[in-house]
Amino acid sequence: MSRDQVIDGYLSQIAARLPGRGRTRPDILCELRSGLLDATDDHQGAGLPPTAAARAAVAEFGDPGQVAADVRPELVATQARRLALRLSATAIPLAALWIYAAQASDAGPPRASLWGWLAAPPVPLAAASALIAALTAIVATIAIGPSIRRFHDRPRLAATAAALGATSVAAIDLGIIILLGLQLIAGPDRLSPVPVSAAAIASLARLAIARRGARHCLAARAGPPDPRSLPDGAPKPARCKSP
Amino acid sequence: MKAEVLKGHLDGMLLACLEAGPRHGYAIIEALRAGSSGQFDLPTGTVYPALRRLERAGLVKGTWGESGGRRRRVYRLTPAGRRALDAERGSWRAFSVAVSGLLEPRSHPATT
Repeated sequence: MSRDQVIDGYLSQIAARLPGRGRTRPDILCELRSGLLDATDDHQGAGLPPTAAARAAVAEFGDPGQVAADVRPELVATQARRLALRLSATAIPLAALWIYAAQASDAGPPRASLWGWLAAPPVPLAAASALIAALTAIVATIAIGPSIRRFHDRPRLAATAAALGATSVAAIDLGIIILLGLQLIAGPDRLSPVPVSAAAIASLARLAIARRGARHCLAARAGPPDPRSLPDGAPKPARCKSP
Repeated sequence: MKAEVLKGHLDGMLLACLEAGPRHGYAIIEALRAGSSGQFDLPTGTVYPALRRLERAGLVKGTWGESGGRRRRVYRLTPAGRRALDAERGSWRAFSVAVSGLLEPRSHPATT
């Protein structure tokens, strides 16, 4: 076994226990690799052959399960932050789309009953979009920025908040789509086709993003997989890219 | 020295290692060993996650660079990190004086 194989095998055991997507996971693994190579160089400089030097470096690094457990909070926090950023980035454009769609649609004659007033296209669509924007702002405030600093030792809490917020946002998006369906049945001629279709597609896309993000956050906060369930040939950690 | 004993003070020691200037992870590990005359020998794998935690708390800032043909993440203290280090020093001195007062052999007999 070569020196690189010893280090790759060790990093694979850590990688298999880590959640996360995007840049943070390979970024952390790259930093660990760099540290292991530095330690291996030191041992080689002290006279050990390459493979023995890598084994000594790995032994000093500690139990891979413990290292993965120490790294997990960073990845869980990143998941929460990424989801909150995505939700907040889509909030204003989506609200603007729905408000425009509502304004472009025909409100019809004034309604006598409360339900008749609420069911007129402009009011519920604009109200729901404003609600989504407000909710997203709350999610973002909880899961990123000042609170992630305040709860920097409690990333699972941020992940829970982000997942709950995303689920609520997805539920509201679904509510808008259902409401739109009812309005299509009740009076399709009152809806302005192009802006309403564009807003509906955007809401569906956002619903998918929120649902997937919530699932990833909940999976990340749930904890590492049972080592017995890890595949024998654990995936190789990504090689570090050049700066 | 036991790793569990050190862990409670790891953050302060890592911040202290960066006081003189930016360092990458392995250089910080070497500074911990050298600064403690080899007494502090943590599992090195605990240092990297701790640095990320300090970064998330805004106490250090990490940036990627290249030296010796290898990519390395270099950490530097932030202004908040310097303030945290000062606070850590203050509380350690108070703790150290109190513990020394109790553990050091007394020069006079106890009164009854």
